Amino acid sequence: MAARRPDVARKRTRTSPARAPVTTVVTLRLYVAGKAPNSVKAIANLQAICRQYLKDEYRLEIVDVCEHPRRALDDGIVVTPTLAKVSPGPGANVIGNLSDTGSVLAALGLQADEQQ
Amino acid sequence: MKPPLPAERDAADLRAEAAFMDWVRQLVKGTTELQALAAGQIDAIMDPVTCSAVLLPEARAAVLARVSRSKARSGNDSGKAHAGRIAAPHRGGANRLLASLPAGEYARLLRGLEPVQLVHGEVLHEPGQEMQHIYFPTGCLVSLLMVVDDHRSLEVALVGREGMIGARAVFGLTLSPVRALVQGTGAALRIKPARFLRQFRGNPSLQRALFGFADALMNQISQTAACNHFHLVQQRLARWLLMTRERMSSSQFHLTQEFLADMLGVRRVSVTTAANALQQQKLIRYKRGNITILDQRGLEAACCSCYRHLRLTADLSAGRA
Repeated sequence: MAARRPDVARKRTRTSPARAPVTTVVTLRLYVAGKAPNSVKAIANLQAICRQYLKDEYRLEIVDVCEHPRRALDDGIVVTPTLAKVSPGPGANVIGNLSDTGSVLAALGLQADEQQ
Repeated sequence: MKPPLPAERDAADLRAEAAFMDWVRQLVKGTTELQALAAGQIDAIMDPVTCSAVLLPEARAAVLARVSRSKARSGNDSGKAHAGRIAAPHRGGANRLLASLPAGEYARLLRGLEPVQLVHGEVLHEPGQEMQHIYFPTGCLVSLLMVVDDHRSLEVALVGREGMIGARAVFGLTLSPVRALVQGTGAALRIKPARFLRQFRGNPSLQRALFGFADALMNQISQTAACNHFHLVQQRLARWLLMTRERMSSSQFHLTQEFLADMLGVRRVSVTTAANALQQQKLIRYKRGNITILDQRGLEAACCSCYRHLRLTADLSAGRA
């Protein structure tokens, strides 16, 4: 009896609908270290990507880990800069200065050709 | 005092760099994080022990250069605010001994102080070795260990933000009698002993602060000696955890049983038994080297009288300082 439980749980997960509506506002959180070079670049790169691909359909929170280290640790952040896609699910993290637009778009669930 | 040869300094820097990279590898294990690290796209690493963000050398240099430029631009409010925030850990405010100095005397001392990042497991000096620097912890924690029979060691004192490592330099003694081992990763300020001695001679406030700390340290060593002899391992472990908590300002830290056994001078199995007993009383949680203090009051009740005595004498010494 007890051995079957994980199977049931797995089946439910597979059949559950995971697609989010297209119009959902994307919530992002960017963890940076003050004005350190990669952090500054990550903010600029992310803002450019959001302006181009998400228009007004996003909410961005920037967390300075120098001021809020406890929060970053509680959120499981190991290094900065780290971009976390908070919602809609599935969540995703992108590490680094976000200069690779393709990987940021992939994490956001967007394609380069979806722009405009 | 004879200044260190450039080759010695280089070797020390290399050792520090290697220790730092070891620490980085311990914390950063994910493939994407490691790739970003190799690509130079990482600014800081989160240190769960000190609950702080540790800037990597390149990012640190860039931030400090930025702060200097901001300072140079007079009347720039945002620059000043930023400089204050970034430079705060280097002002010595986090070290109580330095913070007790009047501004003028601290400013004179500051010229010789150099900010450094010390990592867990780093040895600042071995017994019988000449001390290259005096350290003032601002975020790190350092154990002073007495080494016997060339391999067995026992902690005789624990120094954090309240004090300094290398106080005996003011007596003109530059050989370390103990091993100074970094137990908690974090920042510190360091100064060359000769330079410190020059400042010390003309600085009455620094003399008072240092004598106060030296008195507290002597009390701690004496009390620890008696405690190690008379009290149970469980009581000593409770005391040690409370002292670490106080100095790290955190109720969570990562420590292996082997490390704890070295600190307490007992076998590893004794640490396991003592930690399990404290865990059963729901005073701590200990899992895979991660210790969380769940009930501080309960832990205070479970430890020996030495903890209360040490706190009292430390307060008295600080009052005199």
